[in-house]
Amino acid sequence: MTTANPETAATGIQGLDFLLQGGLPRGRPTLLRGGPGTGKTVISLTFLCHGIRQGENGVLVTFDESPEALIRHAAGFGFAADRFIEEGRLRILDMRPDRNEVVGDYVELTAVMARIDHALQKTGAQRLVVDAMDVLEGAFSAEISLRGELARVFDWLRECRTSSLITIGEQEEFTTRYGLEDYVADCVIALKQDLDHRVMTRLLRVVKRRGGGHGTSEAPFLLDGDGIFMIPVTGSVLRARVSDEHFSTGIPGLDAMLGGQGPYRGSTLLFSGQAGTGKTSMAAAMTVNACEQGRKVLYISFEESVDELVRNQLSIGADLRRHTEGSEADRRLILQPVRAVELGLEEHLMRIMRSIRRHQPDLVVLDPISSLATRRTGDSAKDMLLRLIHLIKEAGITAVATELLTDDSQGVSHLDVSSMIDVWIKLRRHENNGEMNRLITVVKARGLPISSQVKEFRFTDQGLVIEDPYIGESGIAYGTVREARQSEDEQVIEQLHTELSRAMQRRHELDEINAAAERLARAERDTRALDIEREIAGIERRLANIQRARSAISRSRQ
Amino acid sequence: MTTGHYQLRLYIAGMTPAARRAIENLETLARELGRQGEQVEIQVVDIIERPQLAEDERILATPVVIRKLPPPIRRVVGDLSERERVLVGLDIRPL
Repeated sequence: MTTANPETAATGIQGLDFLLQGGLPRGRPTLLRGGPGTGKTVISLTFLCHGIRQGENGVLVTFDESPEALIRHAAGFGFAADRFIEEGRLRILDMRPDRNEVVGDYVELTAVMARIDHALQKTGAQRLVVDAMDVLEGAFSAEISLRGELARVFDWLRECRTSSLITIGEQEEFTTRYGLEDYVADCVIALKQDLDHRVMTRLLRVVKRRGGGHGTSEAPFLLDGDGIFMIPVTGSVLRARVSDEHFSTGIPGLDAMLGGQGPYRGSTLLFSGQAGTGKTSMAAAMTVNACEQGRKVLYISFEESVDELVRNQLSIGADLRRHTEGSEADRRLILQPVRAVELGLEEHLMRIMRSIRRHQPDLVVLDPISSLATRRTGDSAKDMLLRLIHLIKEAGITAVATELLTDDSQGVSHLDVSSMIDVWIKLRRHENNGEMNRLITVVKARGLPISSQVKEFRFTDQGLVIEDPYIGESGIAYGTVREARQSEDEQVIEQLHTELSRAMQRRHELDEINAAAERLARAERDTRALDIEREIAGIERRLANIQRARSAISRSRQ
Repeated sequence: MTTGHYQLRLYIAGMTPAARRAIENLETLARELGRQGEQVEIQVVDIIERPQLAEDERILATPVVIRKLPPPIRRVVGDLSERERVLVGLDIRPL
């Protein structure tokens, strides 16, 4: 038996166990209420069968569905309930009321308890599910002593020390009449369906949890042929794994724009651009490259069908189909078309996360992510996208999302998810002289030395090629304009070179003149200086002669 | 004139007042029917002692009397104080 927390009995539904901080209270009753089709039975069956797999035998009491239907139901979710029964690990007690039974007065329900007790003892069960308990009241509704009897059954369930899950329909009176929420159950979970914009969302709320905190907000969940899937929405915390490894885009020019080796593994890339700017082609090029590197890619296409996507990308050199072949386990590429309008936002979020969990890809492509948001207003779409990106990031998976900008957007993103984006690349069309060129700019790239230059990219036989634009006298030029501009400019250059050499010559001559003048001036200065020196020397000599003559005379007089 | 042979099994859950009344009511009914030439055999089973039988018979509420023979099987729940209801429920028509 592998039980992480001795206080709880795990339901086996990840998100729910997270919400319940481990699971249902061990050895105590839990009440699960919800209207028809809200998922009570599926949650109960999962709780029970998960327990059996973990070594905790179970007893299932059914008041509504036949045991056969429940076994089939469980088998549909991958639980071999019939084998569990054969092995004595599961017992199903058929407590569907017999509608032909004639009911008189003074009915006792001791048999219900005796049968459950007997089954618990025979199987040594630690888990008990009592499904659709409220049906019992309907079956004996005319009976006066029934309330007391039902209260007795609930009291007994409360004391029977098994981790039990009692499900009832959404009947306020029933739960309050028997004090189920206040007195009997240690934990109360409510299920409901919410219809918004004609889209149905399933919601689960932990109403009560004795001796433990619980999230009071409603958690959406997914319920279909694969069972229950929910995300611990309120519990998500930022703990994305940070990687130093790079995840090459496979587009050499793009890797170069992102510091040389491409983005970090586990980062989220967003390609924003208007229609026809090459967003999908960028994503497809990265997909093909990743597949060729032996990585697994989950490509979720919100607008194009798989066939359209494969054909369109093949026409520009990206062979997606080659990687979709083989068994699900071998396949490098999982192409998953999703019709954005069909489902609610929450359902989209959960389906994507479930696919990610199932396929464990290295790269997830969401193309275009904006289609989830365009048809809806308000913060819910943005909120959902943020959570989706966050969850993918949390799983440490590299993600590529594309965003379709409307023509009147002037290149401004409406998704407002940039805070969650690590690498944001904008694609643009540049129309000039009837020619369209595609431009690419890295708006931001966390932790990478990026090229701030606008570059041009083209589709070639060898795939996508990113080129430096031509920066000439009249600004940046692209495409054939670039070539024209380039030859035009060459003539100018030649002319300028000639002018330049002439000017240089003139400067040289001027230098010569200046140098000669300088020499002349220096010679003059030297000559004048010499003259003055001679004059000074002459004067000094005469003075000295006079001085000498005077002293000779005075000596002769003595 | 046909003479039925009825085999009735009364399930109780412990000797509760309702169980006691059910036994009395059923025995009274059997005696009456006997006087009218019907053969009625009664068996009393306490499911607390034999819970597997409660399981096999899919019993929810007690006391419950089940007409085992002749077919079809009929069931009446409660202390069997309403004689007419019991007879209708068990589909026994005294001649």
